[in-house]
Amino acid sequence: MTFDLTSEQDQLRDAVRALGRRYGHGYFVEKAKAGEHTTELWAEAGRLGYLGVNIPTAYGGGGGGITELAIVCEELAAAGCPLLLLVVSPAIAATVINRHGTEEQRKRHLPGLADGSAKIVFAITEPDAGSNFHRLGTVARRDGDGWLLSGRKCYISGVDEADHVLVVARTEDAGTGKLKPALFIVPTNAAGLTRSKLDMEIVSPENQFLLYLDDVRLPADALVGESLDAGLPALFAGLNPERITVAAMGAGTGRYAIERASGYTATRKVWGGRSIGSHQGVSHPLAHAAVQVELARLMIQKAATLYDAGRDLEAGVAGNMAKYAAGEAAALAVDTAVQALGGAGMTTEYGVATLLGAVRAGRIAPVSREMILNFVAQHVLGQDKSY
Amino acid sequence: MNIVVLVKQVPDSGADRNLRNDDNTVDRGSANNVINEMDEYAIEEALKIKEAHGGEVTILTMGPDRATESIRKALSMGPDKAVHVVDDALHGSCAVATSKVLAAALGQLNADLVICGAESTDGRVQVMPHMIAERLGVAALTGARKLTVDGGTLTVERQTEEGYEVITAATPAVVSVWDTINEPRYPSFKGIMAAKKKPVQTLSLADLGVAPTEVGFDGATSAVVEHSKRPPRSGGAKITDEGEGGVKLVEFLATEKFV
Repeated sequence: MTFDLTSEQDQLRDAVRALGRRYGHGYFVEKAKAGEHTTELWAEAGRLGYLGVNIPTAYGGGGGGITELAIVCEELAAAGCPLLLLVVSPAIAATVINRHGTEEQRKRHLPGLADGSAKIVFAITEPDAGSNFHRLGTVARRDGDGWLLSGRKCYISGVDEADHVLVVARTEDAGTGKLKPALFIVPTNAAGLTRSKLDMEIVSPENQFLLYLDDVRLPADALVGESLDAGLPALFAGLNPERITVAAMGAGTGRYAIERASGYTATRKVWGGRSIGSHQGVSHPLAHAAVQVELARLMIQKAATLYDAGRDLEAGVAGNMAKYAAGEAAALAVDTAVQALGGAGMTTEYGVATLLGAVRAGRIAPVSREMILNFVAQHVLGQDKSY
Repeated sequence: MNIVVLVKQVPDSGADRNLRNDDNTVDRGSANNVINEMDEYAIEEALKIKEAHGGEVTILTMGPDRATESIRKALSMGPDKAVHVVDDALHGSCAVATSKVLAAALGQLNADLVICGAESTDGRVQVMPHMIAERLGVAALTGARKLTVDGGTLTVERQTEEGYEVITAATPAVVSVWDTINEPRYPSFKGIMAAKKKPVQTLSLADLGVAPTEVGFDGATSAVVEHSKRPPRSGGAKITDEGEGGVKLVEFLATEKFV
């Protein structure tokens, strides 16, 4: 397997980096603290086709893969602008609709996702189910030709800036009576859908919500795919792109923090003429963090390459490992950067402590490190299921 | 309008740059090579003119094989095609010889308008647009901070130290631009993907009818004889204020002719 970047992927990296740096972390923090969104950056990246790199050209996208989308996620984060909705809208929603939606759904939704003019967010987590998807309690009932959706969802990102939300629900199978998953594309302004904002200790321009679905009436074509059989594969289709892109965002954030810190420690002099970075007590933790970030990047590239080659099962293992590694590396890098900068590390101005909440959350969401270790123990090491 | 943009590949001005010890030419082998920054403004201006008035934009580059990377990058911004003059005999060419080669290539391209950056970040002599215009026998509108096209008439605001001059000329002409003229676009992902399919014609000295003896070290009218690294900055003058600090500061400024 080779995962050298092509010259086009290299150029994409350069171009996204240049765009991200023009906005920078100061812009990101300013928007977050003002309770605003990174609308300008999102719109510009959308016009340039960076948000839709993975969407087929037939639907207005760039015709690339998750490798390209991971590049976009990583480079924007490395410029201090980790855009969470990249993981949700183009990575999860666009992949699910492209792979398992109907032709009509692809035509209707993908062009807007490709140019960034529309966003579709993703609602799976529930208060009573947590990471146990088998306990999902959001249920879809037949209602004439259409559906009635009821349930509760939590930690749903970006509902306030999205046009639709992709809701994971369950339906009763007429044949067996067993519940099976089904995905619905629900307008965020649908009657019966209400939301309340969750206050989070994360400096982020994107908000988290609780969603309440109270007999939300949907037409038949809100169901993703031609039939209920599409539900399970559609649900799984979004997982690998989510793991890989969120890992890329973490790796980019780690790179950003290490760059900030090493730039500071190379020039900061307080004891005689030597920079503080010339002391191993300062430089080794940063070097250690840099190694962890670089290893995570390697696994991200492997996972993205496997996914784009259609090797989904292998990509699942690599994607989970990449997510684990990047989540840990990003948290380590930001924490190490804060320590290296001392008091300055905790200021808003130096722009590293502003990422503490986000990287801490990255060890929990979208899949916790413990659930990844369970996955690896069970599927790679062949251990009995622990839960 | 048929527009040709001159694009030069140069070592990244943000990184460490060196001259080679053996022949005193720019060390391209160890450098991160990029499009000359000012040329990106020239490309942007050409694309804006094409968008407003129609026509075609061609990139013209003289440089070694690896300049292909910069040509693709230039094409990813939106130009239609490129011409790459590449020949081993070109190594060591002086500005006069370079202008001869570029003018010969332009002679085959039938341009209404040639746009280039006002200077390159490696050479920084600013003579190329003048030399090319002279060889082609057309007007040189150099150092533009604004360019307006009205039919076959070009109007330029030429940036000077005091302000600007307004100059007009009929096409065909050569225009060089500063970075005040526009804000170059980022290549879109579609632009990046399309660039690899755009035609890039390579021309040798033989194709241009230029003899190898007219260019390179043999044909050079000037040569870099030796070079050395700029010495590190000295500490400068430190004035300790013992009641007359202000006076000493003014004296220093007067000596340096700042006041």
